[in-house]
Amino acid sequence: MSLDKIEMHLKLLFDLDNLLDDLDEPAYKEIGFKIKDAERRSLIKARSELLLKLPLDIADVYERLKKRYRRAIAPVENDFCFGCFQKLPTQLLTRSKEINTCPNCGRILYWRKK
Amino acid sequence: MNLASLLSKERINLFLKPGKKNKIIEDLVYSLKKDADAELIVSTLQKREELGSTGIGKGIAIPHCRSLAVDKLEIAVGRTTKPISFNAIDKKPVSLIFLIIAPPQDPGNQYLLTLGKIVQIAKEITKKKLIQKPQTPEEFIALINQIEKDLKKRK
Repeated sequence: MSLDKIEMHLKLLFDLDNLLDDLDEPAYKEIGFKIKDAERRSLIKARSELLLKLPLDIADVYERLKKRYRRAIAPVENDFCFGCFQKLPTQLLTRSKEINTCPNCGRILYWRKK
Repeated sequence: MNLASLLSKERINLFLKPGKKNKIIEDLVYSLKKDADAELIVSTLQKREELGSTGIGKGIAIPHCRSLAVDKLEIAVGRTTKPISFNAIDKKPVSLIFLIIAPPQDPGNQYLLTLGKIVQIAKEITKKKLIQKPQTPEEFIALINQIEKDLKKRK
């Protein structure tokens, strides 16, 4: 699988996890958006299917990080990991084309496209 | 938190060409100029719509999601020149659409606060039958500002 495809699956997986998290927020329910259990289950299924599309090692890392931090991916802003707010080493900032993790917290790093 | 301050006239289209729900969502996403990640945002929004329509009734829809693609809350507004089918909760067609995309990291939960506020304002817009009133983005922002002020006074 190409790196672009892996990255796309990872980002979508992350966005779906955030969606699932928001559904449980009392503030979200108070707004009045009602989600049926069947639809929620289908989203969980879609999430699982997406996870299966990822290479096993990356899926494992993602799940481990999610368990630990709730949010497995952290955006990079101004050379900082926005998960742990530590400055990233220079060699990471001139990153090679691979999935990188923060050397401090281990979260998967994401450079937002401009 | 002031909703009017989060709106920009470049992202308000009051003469959106009618089309299928997904196409309208796509058009609004592209108006955010996040081209590199537009596909990701559209996919997440579609997954959200599959959970249940964000058409809240009386002609208004509020598609929303969090996405890695944005670093701050982004809002686009579209009003279709003819109402479109959106599978809204009241089964009625929709013409005013507020699109909200929030970053995953969101200090103070501004996303849910904004979402709640838009629902509140949308209800006022429909109650006062103001969907079709503004004719320019400036008028639209002024209307939102006025409704916010009125709601504040009522509290």
